[in-house]
Amino acid sequence: MIRLQNISKTYQTDKVETLALKDINLHVKKGEFLSIMGPSGCGKSTLLNLIGLLDQPGTGAISVDGMEVKSYRDKDVARLRNQTFGFIFQSFHLINDLQVIDNVELPLLYRSLPAAERRRRAKEALEKVGLGARMEHYPNQLSGGQQQRVAIARAMVGKPQVLLADEPTGNLDSQMGAEVMDHLVKLNQEGTTVVMVTHDEREAKRGSQIIRVFDGQLVA
Amino acid sequence: MLKNYLLIAWKVYTRRKLFTAINLLCITITLMVLLVVTALLQNAFYPTGVEGKSDRFLQVTTLVSLNKDGSSSRTSPLGYKVIEQYLRPMKSAQLVAAVTGIKTVSVYQDDRVTELQLRRADAGYWKILDFKVLDGRVPSAEDVALGRFVAVLNETSARKLFPGSKAVGQKLNVGGQKFEIIGVVEDVMQLNSYADIWAPISTDPSTEYRDQMSGEFSALLLAKSPADIPRMQAEVAQIAPQIKFDDPKEWNQAFMWADTKLDFFARGLLDNERAPNSGAAVLLTAIAVLMLMFMLLPALNLVNLNTGRIMERSTEIGVRKAFGASSGTLVLQFVAENVILCLVGGLLGLILAKGVLIWLENSGLIPYLKVDINFSVFFCGLIITVVFGLLSGVIPAWKMSRLHPVQALKGAA
Repeated sequence: MIRLQNISKTYQTDKVETLALKDINLHVKKGEFLSIMGPSGCGKSTLLNLIGLLDQPGTGAISVDGMEVKSYRDKDVARLRNQTFGFIFQSFHLINDLQVIDNVELPLLYRSLPAAERRRRAKEALEKVGLGARMEHYPNQLSGGQQQRVAIARAMVGKPQVLLADEPTGNLDSQMGAEVMDHLVKLNQEGTTVVMVTHDEREAKRGSQIIRVFDGQLVA
Repeated sequence: MLKNYLLIAWKVYTRRKLFTAINLLCITITLMVLLVVTALLQNAFYPTGVEGKSDRFLQVTTLVSLNKDGSSSRTSPLGYKVIEQYLRPMKSAQLVAAVTGIKTVSVYQDDRVTELQLRRADAGYWKILDFKVLDGRVPSAEDVALGRFVAVLNETSARKLFPGSKAVGQKLNVGGQKFEIIGVVEDVMQLNSYADIWAPISTDPSTEYRDQMSGEFSALLLAKSPADIPRMQAEVAQIAPQIKFDDPKEWNQAFMWADTKLDFFARGLLDNERAPNSGAAVLLTAIAVLMLMFMLLPALNLVNLNTGRIMERSTEIGVRKAFGASSGTLVLQFVAENVILCLVGGLLGLILAKGVLIWLENSGLIPYLKVDINFSVFFCGLIITVVFGLLSGVIPAWKMSRLHPVQALKGAA
């Protein structure tokens, strides 16, 4: 489904060039639950950002559904992100000025959908994560686990093919983390491809495949 | 989507109340000044009130006389003879009126002397201008032809001269001449209609004015329709070279132009008395540039404030980009937020501008000023507000929309 071929990525800071990823070849298959593990600063998040087209590789090619992403034209990439990917971040990144329902509705704003339909889908997504009663709350009125469930609802509301989660339980206690993991596993069982960055071996094992990154390279 | 933008704009603005208040104050004061200027300009140039037919009439105010080799020149108001001999027979004009410029005269009542601004006009003047008669009547063609000593006062002068009693029917000694007041009209502050008292041309103490080529008169030329204005202008331009002076050795070339109000001001300000082009386009451009410059400083200030405000929202920008917002969509969102704030500022500016105009009217700084904020001023204000909103919103919005999503998510704008 998503193929990364000979991907390298370097960051230029002042006069120092840092190699973040080197010669990455990876195939994310449809329906799988891929866990990316590795020590801090090894390039896991960079890899996830490249898969989700939030970043561009220095060299190499990325294909989504057999189509190579070539031009990286802002408008085209934005549309692809909107229709193919859903993102879950470690620190939730909910917009505190908007109610939960408005946060969940956000990805649908960039599609041509009537307001009532957007609202209906957002409600449905919130009910799926058990937060149907919290629609009119603001994010800072919810616990960390609830906020991450809102983030899951936001990631899933557009029914994306791929869910990208960057340390989704990193800011949660073990009980809330387990709840979030249950949701991700359930979504995967329903057919959504999940790519998750984690430090936690137990969580990684709940997926179907684990890859490890070390010093910017995939290791066996 | 717009509801979402409005919601978040409202939240952002209410979260930072001091910032929003400074922003609003800046916008409101700028727009208030611009709206007051627009209303004054509209009052001066736009067909309104007494000069409501100004889209159909032109004024010929100045005669430039030159000697044969052009080494000597004289610029003066028209003499009555020029109007009688050259302008009244014009084919393109429906009506030609003659009126003097304003002249200060002393009015004697018992032991009191009052200074008033006097115009002498023919009957056509009262037909071209739509004075609102509050009492009595205005001079007729017969009054002018027979040289009747009748006069019209404006409301303020009538009240001042005859407090507590009716002015119509009273006698008045104006510069040694006795007039009967036959009418009272509303106060006016407009180019051709400003005065305290009006009398027929034929009451001038001397008849010399009839033979003068240069004097103290202006001509008002009324066209059948606004479409005839260019034809009248062309005819006056043709007439000017045909003017024959009484002493051709002293003066033998003449320039005069039939001007709209805008042309009149432009010609005077830009000293274009001898050129057919009054320079109105230059004047309008200068006004537009000045207004833009006036907007530029507060707009730059707002650009800085807005950039700071949007930078605080870099995570939101990152999230929106991650979920499919393109740079263009984000530019639209932030510009829309800024335009909304500017529209609120514009509304407050409009209310304040109305207040300033009422104060201006009552202060007497500009006598008889009556300026209203009507639909066209409101429309101009709306355009000015949107331009201001775009000026101050586009740059920060564009800058922030270019943020790399990964950097934005890290809050590293």
